[in-house]
Amino acid sequence: MAKAAIYSLTVLLAVMFVIPLVWMFVVSFKPEGVSAITISEWVDFSNLTLQNYKKVLTESQILRWTYNSVVIGAITTIITVFISSLAAFAFSRKTFKTKGFWFILCASGLLIPTEAMLIPLYETVLNLDMLDSKWGIILPSLTNPLGLILIMQFMNGLPKDYMEAAQIDGCKDLRLWWSIYMPLTRSAMISIGIFYFIMSWNNFIWPYIIINTEENMVLATGLPTFLANNVLHVNTIMTASAIAAIPTMVVYVLLQKHIVQGVSMTGVKG
Amino acid sequence: MRAQHGAGARWKKHLKLEFSAIAFLSPFLIPLIVFYIWPLVRGVWISFHSWGILGMQKFVGLDNYTKVWTNGDFFKYLWNSFYFVLLIVPIIILLGLLLALLIKRKIPFQTTFRSIYFLPYVLSVSVISFIWLRMFDSKHGLVNVILEAIGLSPINWLTDPSAAWWSIVIATVWWTVGFVMVLFLAGLQEISPDLYEAADIDGASASQKFRYITLPGLSSVMKVQIFFQIIAGLKLFGQVQIMTNGGPGDVTNTIVRYIYVTGFKKDMFGLAAAQSTMFCIFMLLIAAVQYLFMNRKQS
Repeated sequence: MAKAAIYSLTVLLAVMFVIPLVWMFVVSFKPEGVSAITISEWVDFSNLTLQNYKKVLTESQILRWTYNSVVIGAITTIITVFISSLAAFAFSRKTFKTKGFWFILCASGLLIPTEAMLIPLYETVLNLDMLDSKWGIILPSLTNPLGLILIMQFMNGLPKDYMEAAQIDGCKDLRLWWSIYMPLTRSAMISIGIFYFIMSWNNFIWPYIIINTEENMVLATGLPTFLANNVLHVNTIMTASAIAAIPTMVVYVLLQKHIVQGVSMTGVKG
Repeated sequence: MRAQHGAGARWKKHLKLEFSAIAFLSPFLIPLIVFYIWPLVRGVWISFHSWGILGMQKFVGLDNYTKVWTNGDFFKYLWNSFYFVLLIVPIIILLGLLLALLIKRKIPFQTTFRSIYFLPYVLSVSVISFIWLRMFDSKHGLVNVILEAIGLSPINWLTDPSAAWWSIVIATVWWTVGFVMVLFLAGLQEISPDLYEAADIDGASASQKFRYITLPGLSSVMKVQIFFQIIAGLKLFGQVQIMTNGGPGDVTNTIVRYIYVTGFKKDMFGLAAAQSTMFCIFMLLIAAVQYLFMNRKQS
């Protein structure tokens, strides 16, 4: 009895979670002006149309924004994982006097978010002539300390024998990192990389501030710009949202295991 | 003579170790210094000036800070952000915990439920804001239709000052509670099953097991989550910018949006930098308070 009640609650909550998404898709296939708010409208399949999709795809640069988001996400993720791993290697496997100082400096990035330093960061990027460009988005987001700390913890857990054996073989540090520590921490880095990609994909305020030509926008900022500049029906809004949501939802379904693993890694130990 | 030589060699060796380590750190350190440390320092410098985006600058000392201090807006919007934190953190932690407990055991479609609860998290802030903007539409929004269907009166979600914050809270909880759930699920897995078995043998009730095994087992995840959620709440910008534009009036204007408007819409960089600096100090204070609080509880 109690079990049945708990199970019904689980189902009910799941239904409440998917309704907004289902509604978004339903409305996106309805003709303009039909907001599909009654059950009869939901199950009425006679008036489905692809007109909204055609409209959004031709009138906005949504595919271009998706492409920008993917490229920026990929570059950010790859660079961050590599530089975090290199730094983690130094912190985990090298002994040097100023270690504590550098570590605190690196970890201090956890304390103050970009949101609290918008003005001087804008000025810095302006002086480097990177406003309205990909690198203006990518470079300020590279030094998230979370990945560094996680990879470092992972490396701390590896036996030191590898290092000693490799040093006896005359292996230089850089090769040691590249051919032993990188492969050994592969699974951790994939999880962290996915987490970084999601963060980059969802990054909103920074691209919103520094990008002003439509062509250079990312998905998260192009969408509100497109919808603010045009008077649109609910159907067009939902269609644009659906097109923006589809790639992430597909990737999520495919990589679910890694994504969930990546997220849980960042929280439990972070 | 020989001793001195030895010390010199050792010193040289240290220096070599130092440099080789810093070489490994530098790809991380250089962007950190350019895009984090430098802007932090630069921000303080800018805050002592009257400064426009186009570069007209004049040293004004503490004028900007006096303005921030005497004009009540800064604290009003800081309070707004804090108010959002007070609303959302308990809800998101409790709901996240509930969802994790619901699907902890082997039940039919367990992974499907997990996928569904987590799904909104992978959408970007603009997608979720537009979905909920339409969901909360007073005439054609699904939320009011459902309210009316079950016999409740409709609410002007986005234009009623007392409902506007709840619209933002509901949208944000829906968007990110799956994240909290996944972390609690991971925390639950780290609790040894032996503890529950032992409790069963001793005849402990379900609520006793929850109180004395589950909750203590989750305490470290809980602390980290509360910390993250407070910081995330204080950063609130996207949902407000898209869904309410800070309105109705300025009811949902947050501190981040206030700094954004001061700097980028009104072109008062110096003033906005002073606001930023004070906001940074506030964030550091929050972090320090939490650090002290957590450490005290442990000992």
